[in-house]
Amino acid sequence: MKKKSAILISLILIFGLLVAGCAPSTPDPGRDSIVVAMGGNPVTLDPHGSNDQASSRVHRQIYETLIYQTEELELVPALAESWTQVDELTFEFKLKAGVKFHNGETLTANDVKFTLERALASAFIGHIVGPIDAASITVVDDLTIRFSTTQPFAPMLTHLAHPAMAILNEKAVTEGGEDYGTNPVGTGPFKFVSWDFDEKVTLERFDDFHGTKALLREVVFRIIPDNTVRTVQLETGEADIIYDIQPTDVSRVDAAPNLTLVRDANLSVTYIGFNVDKAPFNDVRVRQAINLAVDMEAVVNAVYAGVGSPAKGPLGPNVFGANMDLEGWDRDLDTARALLAEAGFADGFTTTLWTNDNLQRVQIAEIVQNQLADVGITVEIVEVEWTKYLADTAAGLHDMFILGWTTVTADADYGLYALFHSSAVGTPGNRTFYRNARVDELLDLGRTTTDQAARLAAYREAQEIIRNEAPWVFTWNGENISGTQSNVTGFKQHPAGHHNLAGVSFAP
Amino acid sequence: MIKYILRRILLVIPVMLGVSFLVFTMIHFTPGDPVITILGETASQESIDQLREELGLNDPFLVQYFNYVRNIVVDQDMGRSYVTNRPVANEIIAKFPNTLRLALLGVLVSVSIGVPLGILSAVKQYTWIDNVAMFFALIGVSMPIFWQGILLILLFSVVLGVLPSSGFNTVQQMILPALTLGTGSAAIVARMTRSSMLEVYRQDYIRTARSKGLREFMVVTRHALRNTLIPVVTIIGLQFGFLLGGAIVTETIFSIPGVGRLMVDAIRQRDMLVVQGGVLFIAFTFSIVNLGVDVLYGFIDPKIRAQYK
Repeated sequence: MKKKSAILISLILIFGLLVAGCAPSTPDPGRDSIVVAMGGNPVTLDPHGSNDQASSRVHRQIYETLIYQTEELELVPALAESWTQVDELTFEFKLKAGVKFHNGETLTANDVKFTLERALASAFIGHIVGPIDAASITVVDDLTIRFSTTQPFAPMLTHLAHPAMAILNEKAVTEGGEDYGTNPVGTGPFKFVSWDFDEKVTLERFDDFHGTKALLREVVFRIIPDNTVRTVQLETGEADIIYDIQPTDVSRVDAAPNLTLVRDANLSVTYIGFNVDKAPFNDVRVRQAINLAVDMEAVVNAVYAGVGSPAKGPLGPNVFGANMDLEGWDRDLDTARALLAEAGFADGFTTTLWTNDNLQRVQIAEIVQNQLADVGITVEIVEVEWTKYLADTAAGLHDMFILGWTTVTADADYGLYALFHSSAVGTPGNRTFYRNARVDELLDLGRTTTDQAARLAAYREAQEIIRNEAPWVFTWNGENISGTQSNVTGFKQHPAGHHNLAGVSFAP
Repeated sequence: MIKYILRRILLVIPVMLGVSFLVFTMIHFTPGDPVITILGETASQESIDQLREELGLNDPFLVQYFNYVRNIVVDQDMGRSYVTNRPVANEIIAKFPNTLRLALLGVLVSVSIGVPLGILSAVKQYTWIDNVAMFFALIGVSMPIFWQGILLILLFSVVLGVLPSSGFNTVQQMILPALTLGTGSAAIVARMTRSSMLEVYRQDYIRTARSKGLREFMVVTRHALRNTLIPVVTIIGLQFGFLLGGAIVTETIFSIPGVGRLMVDAIRQRDMLVVQGGVLFIAFTFSIVNLGVDVLYGFIDPKIRAQYK
């Protein structure tokens, strides 16, 4: 018997060793190495291979764009030392001299040409450089590049500052081939070291960086998909910085003495859209009545625990061109009922409200369902799986739906054109099928004129019309919420969500 | 015996073909378009058409399936992910060891808790020990994994600060996920062991063993346990399959890069080739484990072994 149990115990021990064996132990991050936890897994480190936030957050450290949009949303030189607009269509960029890529190559105008051409051919991010005329891209000399847009395009510079417009090295991309996305080479303050998919991405300071060198030796992005566990990691010290703290965890992090909560308005808006092609939402009075029947203040407090703010228009407050003087839709049930009666729905009607499985959106739907019952509108909530959701809202199969939008370039063109221009109905973004000739005209004007005052005026008017015609119920402007250990210094959030970590370090 | 094993291994091939065809069909007819999911809310019709062509999604369904099988058989190529453009085989091979390890540890936990608990409860039937054991078994079965996982993290990582809350490289990192995954099936194994043991306990040979004057401990370990094991081994084999495919929640909570997580992401994005690859791997492993269980029967029960000859 004794012998048998001895065998059993040894078997278990061997099994344990096999299971645990050969696994390297993770070294304790020292003072010059930082662990940043985020929920999403980067899709690819090839900026032309996807356009997702998790990837952009890593791209920001590895790559640089010609122009950098600061945390204050100003455009400043990055790889381009200076630029001039030669005529209405043509831009010329002077590149900074002596910029090194992580593979030792020196940046030249040929790399920029290569990058622009490759970006234009990309199904993922082609739309960001869409207005550039591929045939016009000309290398003037080693450090000068010139290109034109097919039509005047006022927000061109902000588009060039988009992280997807990172400048690539032709040699590295060609050598990398199909696997370039896992062997990225940029000019940024950190260079790529390794990537354990779904687990972590490790970056290291690039000592030949042309600007101010990164303060930390190493950055490790750890992928922690569960929101609660991410907060736990900050509490236990396993992570030094965590991104995207959930509204429910905000007070916990805020109350912890050794942690710092970082909150800033971001560039996102959540909205409830109507299918204006479909009765009864083809009647503007019905849309206005619904705007009057809901109370977004209550929604935001209940769902987001006070994080962010009720949206007052289609653009967040920090977006260029946002009209902050729009009149709000204060809850007024009598007027709402009167408008409904006028439209022939004195007894209300039955409709559906679609949402995907996003927890907060489902909660918004439930509250709105309750509030609309007060004016006799019976709402059935339909939770639709994400893929089907995108396809069916693009096809116009919905009545009402909840969706969000992030104006990544912080320019009104990005936040209005795709959502309200009649040429963008369906897949490109206008899922309300809203069409208004004057709005089209104003959005086209805002896109093509370089006169900033004229652009502002056009966007102000367009937003006024949109507010009155109410294809949306403006719902919520979001916040970026991160948490750090209190000894982390220099961490600053970018409104677009891809925070630059070069200036981060530990307090001595 | 050897012939039997070989025949069983050959049977895996049609199983794999059937599984892959089923999965391919199911994904193909699921509503939603991979291209729209990949390109997101801002895609223009041109980029959608372009990517669809690049991915070969315009081919008829059977052509797509045939190409897939041909690439695997002829070129040993499982294709590249629609989303990340990484080779599917590399992706799965990188993650499969974690999932396998997690499932093995889960089985280890469930057997080392479940079997003794079941025996104890059968031997002490209707005493307080039995009641307490079965009460915990009931809790184990009913507790959702995600909740249990978070509770364990809160206790061991936050309050006590003794174990890490994520990762799967060191022994310390493996304890919480294994416990989380294993306890649910430990409860099932415990109940199975108990009822099987009670069945055996009523047999004449147990009475004979006792009347020989053997100590109760010997009766249980020598005479009852071995005969109890057949149904228990069956259920453990099934549990292993369940743990292999059902580790998704555990992998997500503990941030373990495993096949479960990979596949859920892939299903959400209709990343067909990754789903296919993952299902094939899991089906293959499950087939092998089932074969192992059948072979184990032979070792446990001489009557079954005799049939192979």
